[in-house]
Amino acid sequence: MALPIETGQPGVIVIGETEPKDELSMPWNVIVHNDPINLMSYVAMVFMRVFGYPRARAETLMLEVHQKGRSLVWSGGRERAELYVHQLHSYQLLATMEKSGA
Amino acid sequence: MIDLSVQPLDEKRILISGIPSVLAAMLRELPEILELRDSPDARARLHPNPTAGSDNINREWHQLADPELRHLFVSAGETVTRDLTALTADKENGDAWQVAFPIEHVPAWMNALNQARLILGEVHKIDEAEMNRTDFDPQSPKHMAALRVHLLGYLLHLFVELDSAHEPGKHI
Repeated sequence: MALPIETGQPGVIVIGETEPKDELSMPWNVIVHNDPINLMSYVAMVFMRVFGYPRARAETLMLEVHQKGRSLVWSGGRERAELYVHQLHSYQLLATMEKSGA
Repeated sequence: MIDLSVQPLDEKRILISGIPSVLAAMLRELPEILELRDSPDARARLHPNPTAGSDNINREWHQLADPELRHLFVSAGETVTRDLTALTADKENGDAWQVAFPIEHVPAWMNALNQARLILGEVHKIDEAEMNRTDFDPQSPKHMAALRVHLLGYLLHLFVELDSAHEPGKHI
């Protein structure tokens, strides 16, 4: 957070970085990675089940995984990201989480 | 002609019918394949790291999450293994087989079928090119493993279709 710092010179203040960004408030991304075995139809079904996405969105994300090797499937708080990664692992998808902008 | 299908038998049971003999043989091998889940490669695939670079998070995660995941995978395998004891000849489909099981076992079937495919993929180092193969040498363990991954995948796909045939939000 940027805070004003007293310089000792009358009327002069400097705006500086006095502390790192509040990491706790930074969103986490849930990423699903491509693998050669999982079926495309199965991956789309898992996205619908875990995130409640409509079929069209689930299939778009599934195709992104297939074609680009990975897809950002959800972004938000850390605890929810951990829950989603755990659920995706229970469906045997390759999923990781990372801090947004990392 | 054998017509493999996965359909509700009634309100409480699912029937897989028209199972070709070759797929029936593979299903009988499922328990043996699933026992390989603790081999190093299969274990790494079934219990992947949750982050790409944080050793601390990964270590803590594995301590907390792995036992629960393993219990889920083992339990699914045991359920399907028990169901497979009811595998019988499908008299309406020539040289085929069939099996019926409670509808609540569908998630276990999907889990176990996918587990087996992933385990075969890891144990036999099956990559994208191998999955795109159209010719299979019966003498090659890798080719035969890829064929098994495809056939078990076809059955899994029928389960996915069964799931999507139901009302959105209501899963079997």
